Amino acid sequence: MLMALDVVAPALSGAIQGAVYGLLGLGLVLLYKSNRVFNFAQAEFGTSAAFAVLFADNGTGPLPNLPLPLAVVFGLLVATGLGLLTERLVVRPLFSAPKVTLVVATAGVTLLLISVQGFLAGAEPSVLQPLFAGDVFDTGSVRVTRQQLVIVLVLVVLAAASALFFSRTRTGTAIIAVSQEPTATSLVGISVTRTSSLTWGLAGLLGGIAGILLSGSTGFVSPGSLTGLALIPAFTAAVFGGITSLPGAFLGGVVIGVVEALAQSNIPKDVLPGSGRVVLFVALLSVLLIRPAGLLGKEA
Amino acid sequence: MSVLEVRDLAIRFGGLQALQGLDLDVNEYEIVGLIGPNGAGKTTAFNCITGFYTPNEGTVRYRGQDVTTAPPHVKAAMGFGRTFQNVGMVKSATAMENLKTAQHAKAGYGVAAGLLGTAATGRRERVLEAKANAILDLLGLSAIRDERVGGQSYGTLKLLELGCALATDPDLLLLDEPTSGMGPDESDELGERLLALRREFALTMLVIEHHVPLVLRVCDHVYVLNFGRLLAEGKPSVIQTHPEVVAAYLGGEAPEALAQTHETAEDAALDAVTEQAVREHQVVEHRVVEHGAVEAVAAPRPRKAPVKRASTRRPVALDDPPTEELAVPLRPRRRPAPTRKDTSS
Amino acid sequence: MTAVVDPPVGRTPPAAGPDRAAEAVARPRREFGPVRWVPRAVVLLALAWWALVYVPGTFAYSAFAADACIYAIIGLSLNIVIGYTGQLSLGHQGFVGVGAFAAAYSLTVQEVPFAATFVIAAGLAAVFALVLGLVALRITGLYLALITLVFGLTLEGSLFEIPRFTNGGAGQPADRPQFLFDDGRFYLFCLAFLVLACYVDYRLLRSKTGRALLALKENERVAEAFGINVTAFKLIAFTLSGALAGVAGALFAYRIGIVTGSGFGFFLALTFVLMTVVGGLGDRLGVIMGSSFFAVLPFLLEDSPLKRAEEAIAGVLSFGDAGTEANIIQFFPQALGALLLLLTLVQFPGGLAQQVRPFTDWLKGEPFDARALLPHRGSSGPGTVEGSSVRA
Repeated sequence: MLMALDVVAPALSGAIQGAVYGLLGLGLVLLYKSNRVFNFAQAEFGTSAAFAVLFADNGTGPLPNLPLPLAVVFGLLVATGLGLLTERLVVRPLFSAPKVTLVVATAGVTLLLISVQGFLAGAEPSVLQPLFAGDVFDTGSVRVTRQQLVIVLVLVVLAAASALFFSRTRTGTAIIAVSQEPTATSLVGISVTRTSSLTWGLAGLLGGIAGILLSGSTGFVSPGSLTGLALIPAFTAAVFGGITSLPGAFLGGVVIGVVEALAQSNIPKDVLPGSGRVVLFVALLSVLLIRPAGLLGKEA
Repeated sequence: MSVLEVRDLAIRFGGLQALQGLDLDVNEYEIVGLIGPNGAGKTTAFNCITGFYTPNEGTVRYRGQDVTTAPPHVKAAMGFGRTFQNVGMVKSATAMENLKTAQHAKAGYGVAAGLLGTAATGRRERVLEAKANAILDLLGLSAIRDERVGGQSYGTLKLLELGCALATDPDLLLLDEPTSGMGPDESDELGERLLALRREFALTMLVIEHHVPLVLRVCDHVYVLNFGRLLAEGKPSVIQTHPEVVAAYLGGEAPEALAQTHETAEDAALDAVTEQAVREHQVVEHRVVEHGAVEAVAAPRPRKAPVKRASTRRPVALDDPPTEELAVPLRPRRRPAPTRKDTSS
Repeated sequence: MTAVVDPPVGRTPPAAGPDRAAEAVARPRREFGPVRWVPRAVVLLALAWWALVYVPGTFAYSAFAADACIYAIIGLSLNIVIGYTGQLSLGHQGFVGVGAFAAAYSLTVQEVPFAATFVIAAGLAAVFALVLGLVALRITGLYLALITLVFGLTLEGSLFEIPRFTNGGAGQPADRPQFLFDDGRFYLFCLAFLVLACYVDYRLLRSKTGRALLALKENERVAEAFGINVTAFKLIAFTLSGALAGVAGALFAYRIGIVTGSGFGFFLALTFVLMTVVGGLGDRLGVIMGSSFFAVLPFLLEDSPLKRAEEAIAGVLSFGDAGTEANIIQFFPQALGALLLLLTLVQFPGGLAQQVRPFTDWLKGEPFDARALLPHRGSSGPGTVEGSSVRA
């Protein structure tokens, strides 16, 4: 029976796709860890960054025609700035509001960012060159591009680095402290607002990295493209790995990516269309019902 | 038969044994006190009895029926009325709305009938409203009938919460620190009120209370908890001078009095462990040690062995005629021949 | 409707925000007799004429007016879950879709009588809501939002693509019966359903069910102590909401005539949530206004002062670039919706409901009080989404 299944090729491409989810999931985990909130705008920090790279690289509008590395820096700055701006204009006024209100607000930010992208670029997809051209190998059924390899490497490095950041640095532990005891933390002299700005800035940066790499990998960017492509699997990955665990986001991403790819390539469309989404739903539901803390998460 | 019969109740939170081997009886028409220092497990016991926690061991029987695992809303419908330590009401709703919400289990119509708006629903709603008004009158809270509950003073809230518990049409009323936030005079008044309510509604009560004069005035029987175990039980007057109770209440607050009793190193170690566990699990109670008890220390008496089974207690009688000012159109439960004046006009 | 109780003499009324103080000042200036009811009756009659005669008789308006009614029903449905019960559902477009396909399939393929398709649509959507509720309501707060979102997307990507039921990408036709061909009549038909939904909503709040939902939204432990079966009543809310969404779905199917799966995506779910929040969670009239506004927004942007505002904004923002101007006009509704949502959440938690309260109170016989229009920064009014179990 197992022989009949198409396993190796989808598993590999799924793992790489999963790295994509994991990369986006990192920012979600960061914000959940520090602010106890689901940020629906995370993917749009990424799409906006990808657009910024595109504009800077092409010299659109008032922008000078920058070389690609500088354009990438510009894109990351834009994403970080969007994170900070979201914090200042939306998150901070809603500090004392219920978390669910804040989640609805981040969904509003998503919609706003998508429309601003639309204002600037129109609804049609724009072509975005990968940062790292060429293939690592291509056997016909399995193809791994350099960009994809970079995504996996960046994900591993970022997951490890941010895990170290939270466990080893003073700023990292301060962020965790604020998330657990805001009042007590402010009493010992840690600024709650500055910590909040910092985490949202970082989340913007992580989203930017994810967005630039992913859009380069798919080869195009359009308003809301990342939300449509990766936000929900990224959430599922983050929850699956344990919403507060940074390595968990990585692991969860790979698991979700592989399972999704296996389902898509082995369940015929006429039996069950959209099997990828069904798998996501089942995965999310079962992890929440059976092990709410996720694969690597600790009990809350 | 006792109204409430708790046997060998135990519950753990992680490493903390919050309750261990608790036996407790509440007989018909009794007002039973549950006292003990902070973190002794009184509210935990309440939560186990009312179904908010499922105990790890032991049984809870209500009028002979095993209700250990019944969920809170089922127990509420059976006749368990309860109040919370820090006021349990719908703060964004008005006093009237709260009193109507509290009558949920006795609404007398189904969800579908309510949505369709049948004539019977309208009649029942008017009955609920009349009962809510009667309770407001009874507690002297008619002035805040249509005020939001959230803006009221703590004492008013505690009183209104008692009203909500009454609105659930209870048979057994469990009150968690009904006098917290009240001054001494208000507390004494509340004691009279509890006695009157028992007469009027034929209630049985279990009360967590720190205000010693109130315990002495109203309770027929007192249980003392310490570190999740039953320390002593008996008549309030006996408990008041019980040496272990005195020691437990003093804790580390009055060294000179401690010297008169005895505290072993073992006790101190247990104290530290419990404190930490309590912190970790946030089962924190914010009460000051009752000073009435501190004063009562003067001369410790030789300790008496606690009575093991309390079902031999003298039954409480409800012969006293009901007081006139409490005569309201409320249906008393299992009350002997009502002689009250009808004021439903 | 609001009972006016004289404040007790010699007692300062308890502090309950600025609007209560404003009321206390305004009360003595109450008007009596014809002065009081004539202007109000005129306004009400004008509104009734506009809704029942003018709009259905005007060809250009009636189709959009039908949309407004359908969205309003969806808003009321979502309001039961978010506004009353405090649970965030981002998958409501799924229930609407189930209703739409159920109506279209039963009418076109199974040839069920027209009236019965509404029962089927409501029933099936209610069953979906019940099943989702049974498995998902143990999950609370933010996680529930996520699971409902993925549920909606799964319906869109999977169930709505099964050719046997939905005709795949071609869509399942749903033809209106002869007597509803006219858009004006169809609008009145939808309006009747909206009135029905309002009645159900009104009864809900006036019966033990509504009180139970509001109680469990604020504090589940207190609700349980009051004898309320929290899980059961959450399920009832979910199922009732699903049934209403299903009815709206059936109307939606007949409104457009053919149902395709691709329309029921994430952005529709977002639109539903934002129209409910902008309208004012927990407030019937506010929700109806917010929902209708987003339903007729495309129409307003075709010919109205809003259209001219849009063009002016696009002209300024695009610095004269024609391509950009076209883009701005294309994405204008989304941007407007997003801005209104954020503005509501951050600055006006009461939503539209709070903004129109002076007018509605005036219609009910109260004096006009413009002070309620001021922003209520940071207040946790009825506009906040509550009930999250996840708090810092």
